Order: sequence, then structure tokens, then C-alpha cells
Amino acid sequence: MYGSPSTRHLLSLLWLVLAGFLFPSWMPEYFIYIMNMLMMYMILAVGLDIVMGWSGQFAFAHIAFFGIGIYGTALLNMRLGIPFLLGMPLAALLAGAVGYLIALPATQLRTVYLALATFAFSECAQWAFRTWESLTKGPDGLRMTAPQLFGHVVTNDRDAMPIIAIILALVLAATFYLWHSKLGRQFHAIRDSEHVAMASGIDVKRTKVWALAISAFYAGIAGGVYTLFQSYVHPDGLGVSMLVLVLSMVVVGGSGSVAGVGLGVVLLGILPELLRSAPKGFLIWQEFTYGAILMLAIMYMPKGVWGLWQRIQQGRKA
Amino acid sequence: MGTWNLIWQGLASGVVTGCVYALVALSLVIVYKSTDVVNFAGGELVMIGAYLGLFILLGLEWPYVALFVMVPIGSFVLGGLFTRFSLDKVSGRAMVKHANLVPLVVATIALSYLLKGIVRVIPFTEEVRRLPPLMTGPPIFLGDVVIQQQDIAIVLVTTVVMVILWLFFGYTFVGKALRATSQNIRAAALLGIPVNLMKLSVWGLSAAIAGIAGILLAPKLLMTPDMGTVVMLAFAAAIIGGFSSLPGCVVGGIALGILQNMVGIFISPQAIAVTPFFVIMLVLLFKPQGFFDTTLAVKKV
Repeated sequence: MYGSPSTRHLLSLLWLVLAGFLFPSWMPEYFIYIMNMLMMYMILAVGLDIVMGWSGQFAFAHIAFFGIGIYGTALLNMRLGIPFLLGMPLAALLAGAVGYLIALPATQLRTVYLALATFAFSECAQWAFRTWESLTKGPDGLRMTAPQLFGHVVTNDRDAMPIIAIILALVLAATFYLWHSKLGRQFHAIRDSEHVAMASGIDVKRTKVWALAISAFYAGIAGGVYTLFQSYVHPDGLGVSMLVLVLSMVVVGGSGSVAGVGLGVVLLGILPELLRSAPKGFLIWQEFTYGAILMLAIMYMPKGVWGLWQRIQQGRKA
Repeated sequence: MGTWNLIWQGLASGVVTGCVYALVALSLVIVYKSTDVVNFAGGELVMIGAYLGLFILLGLEWPYVALFVMVPIGSFVLGGLFTRFSLDKVSGRAMVKHANLVPLVVATIALSYLLKGIVRVIPFTEEVRRLPPLMTGPPIFLGDVVIQQQDIAIVLVTTVVMVILWLFFGYTFVGKALRATSQNIRAAALLGIPVNLMKLSVWGLSAAIAGIAGILLAPKLLMTPDMGTVVMLAFAAAIIGGFSSLPGCVVGGIALGILQNMVGIFISPQAIAVTPFFVIMLVLLFKPQGFFDTTLAVKKV
């Protein structure tokens, strides 16, 4: 387990990059858009899984960090002309740093405080996006100028897809390395038992802080990716409902495993698109649908669809 | 006159809204104390209580007093059902000593969405409504301060609920059994206390308190399926009390109600929305055990 990820896993990421370069030339525009969105959700969901699935900690500010990534990347580009390749990492680092600063006091005492502090911060961040009008255009939403990469302006989904595929591949590769690293093992240890982890010489508080900071960094990257294929952001989209969607992806797919999260992203990522084309009468059922899916998944599939599938596979072998 | 009048008025109405926050905070804390679960559906239970009241009042045309019996009962059943069918199922497989709390809290988030979703699809709720005030009549003047009769009723009901809770937890057999269960579940089980039934009752009781808060809040606020956001203020109130002290909730709630009004007067009405966040963060930074935590400050690692 300890050590480096298997080459098979890393090589499989090459397929992702290859698809990112080949698909845009012949796939329909709408399909490309969906693919871009799913890849963005994947970064977001894996980030959330690191803190909730791997480490067993509460982190309800994920969408706030996502928002910091979006507004950060977009505003660095629009106000200071900083190109995407520099702006996106800067914004993601900012998100990670904010996550670190929130986790620092919130992990000092009981577990409840991290849940409350992150929940409160997400409300506060949404409020800031809405009221800081000189920066974010507030309730009007922000029209973002197209990001530039190597002097090339990314204006449509087809241009964005290969870039997003490369970013996702890098993020996943980093995730595989993190999984096998000492820190990754410590994440799993504090989830399984804080007492045992502490007795094994793990600095539990420090580990929690890093889990949150890293997951915030992931969310920041996802925010940067958002600016590549979307041209508009509104504070209302950065609320609890978005968090519930990403949370459902992690829970339904299978928390604590990258493959499971990927499955959840595909299953639930197309749901908003399906709901969008659904008749108007159905739209009102949206909250109920998400609530029911999340509730049933947490009740009957503790390890998600992925865990269910693995159990069936094992049963077949035995 | 002028500013001073505003301040007195702010104090008075802060105490009134603070009472409601205190009730919601109480409902969160008793659940947390006994099951370690932070209930993110707490606000939605308030909302459900308010709509339940509205249906009983307008649909069945029962008198107002009936609300204070029927809504707690309805909410209690709802809380009990949630525990019995969802939480028990989720935690049933994790009966190890250090159960992972994440799935349980995720279940409360799912519940909050389910409740919001159910209320939203009921055609009756499309219109924004308001419960009629609890007491009508000419406002009372205390110097320059105007107090509505309904506000007095809110404070009275809150006080009654708190006294009942205090008596219940302090002096009844079931209340003592509940406290024992939340202190040490294994010892309680060994003494023959039906701990599963206790857990169910705690969730039911918590939902009932939230339901009463809903009836009290609904005449003052516009009723929408989203009115559960009041839970943020309750969290802040509970944090002031260290998330474990019941008197702390009351003081925290009232302090927060007053603080909110003062922020509105002295800083800006827009900043009211982030007051609970700053309270939570400041308490966490400087007084993480809260102002009322008398017993063990560090329960977990």
C-alpha cells in the first residue's frame, strides 16, 4: 500500500488526455460541454472525498472554496490580465490557504466545530460574493472574459476540453500519489480511529488541517476549470444546493475511493441536465429528488454504487 | 430620543427573537449531547412546525391553542420516524465504538432536503403566507419602546417550554434516563435503560421543540420552504453555550438576538446576515469551549 501508485492507474490517465484531444474534433458541441462539466465535477468531488471520505471530517465549505477559485481566476484575468496558467494556481492556493486558516481553530476541540465553522463560512462566502459588488458585480452575476493560455484565447467548449482533460489527469495523478503517501495513510488512520491514530504518533489536528486545506485547494482548481468553459457566474449557484449535489456524487458513487467518486459524478452529473429538459411541473420536485437519492444512498449503500458492485464481484469469485 | 430609542427598541425585539433562537438552539444541543450528531435539518424542522401549524389553523380550522399540542406531537412523530427508519439504519452497521459520524450528519442533510422538497411540492405553499399573530391587541408602551402583544406571548411561551424542559430533565424518571443515556450510553444500557427508545425520544423531543419555535417564528417571518435558514443563528447561539449547556443556549440565543439588532443599528443592515458567522468564528478562536461549558471541555480527542 505504502509507496507509489501502480503504473496501470497512472497510464490509464493517458486515455483521458487522449480523449480530451480527440473528442472535440468530431463529438457534438453539447456532448463536449457535458464532458467538460463532468470533469470539473470530478475535481470538485474528489476534493470533497479527501476530507469526508478519506479522513472522515466534516467540510461544508467546499462550494465556498469553489467560488473563491472561480472569482479568483476570473478576476485575476479581468483586472490584472494574469493568464490562466498563473491565475488558476494562485486562486486555488488562495482557496487552500483560506481552508487552512479555517481549519486551524476549528480542529482544536470537538468534531462539531469543524462542521459548524465550515458551514458558517460557506454562508459567509456566499454573502460576500453577493454583496461585494465592486469586485463580484454582486447579484447581477459576473460576466467573465475568456481566459488566455499561451496567448491563445479559450472561447468555446472545444478549445477548453483538452486543457481540462490535462488538468484532471494531473489532479488524479496527484490524488493517486496522495493516496499512497504518508499523509494519505494518515487521513485514513484518523477516519478509522482518532485514538489509535494518536497512539501511533500521528498528529491528529495537523492531519485534519491538511485534509481540509488540500480539499479546498482541489475545489479552487475546479473553480479555475469552471472559468475555462463557462462565461458567467452567479452567487446563487454557489450555495447549499451545489454542495448537496457534490455530496450526493460522493455518497452515491462510493466515498473513499476515486473510482467510486468517478462513478457518482457520471451518474449524478447528468441529472441536472436531465432535469433541465424535464417538463416544468417536474422542476419543483428537484429538491425532493436530491434529498431522496441522498437519503436512500446513505441508508442502503454505505459504500455507494461502487461498493455494491465490488461486493457482487467478490461474491462471484467466492 | 433618537439613537437611544432605537437601542432600547433593538434590545426589546432582540430578546424576543433571541427567545426563538434559543429554542432552536436547545433542540440542536439536546440531540448533539445524546447522539454526537449535528442536526443540519434543525431549521427544516422549524419550517415543518410552522407549516403544520398553518395547516391545522387554516385547513382544519382548529383554535390557536390546539397548535401547541398538535404541532409538538406531529413533530415528535416525525423526529421519531427519522431516527427509527433512517438513523438507526445508517448507524446500525457502525456500532463500533468510534462510529463514523459523517454518514449520520449526511443523513440529516438529506432529511433537510427531503422536508424542503415535500413542502415545496404541496400546492398550498406556493403563496408566501404568514401565520396570524398569537395575540392581537394594542401594543404596549414602555416609555418610548413599543412592544407588540404577540412578542410578549413569544417570550411567555418560550419561558414555559424552558421550565417544562428543566423540570423534565431534572425531576422526572424519563428525563433522568435521557441524561444518563447521553452521558454514558453503555452504562445506561447496563442499568436497563432502553437506550434505543431514549435516542428516539431525544430526536422526537428535539423536533417538537423546533416545531414550537416554528409556530412562534411564523407570525413574525414570511413563511417559505426556505425559512430553515434560521438554523445558522441557532448554531451560533448554541456555540456561545459551548454546544452542550442548555442555559447557555438561552443566554446565547438572547445575546445573539440583541447583537443582531445592534449590528443593524450601528454597522449596517446588510451585515446582519453574517453576524452568526462572525460569532461562531470569534468564539472558536478565543473561547472554543463556550461560555457555559462546565464539565469536560474535551470530549473527543
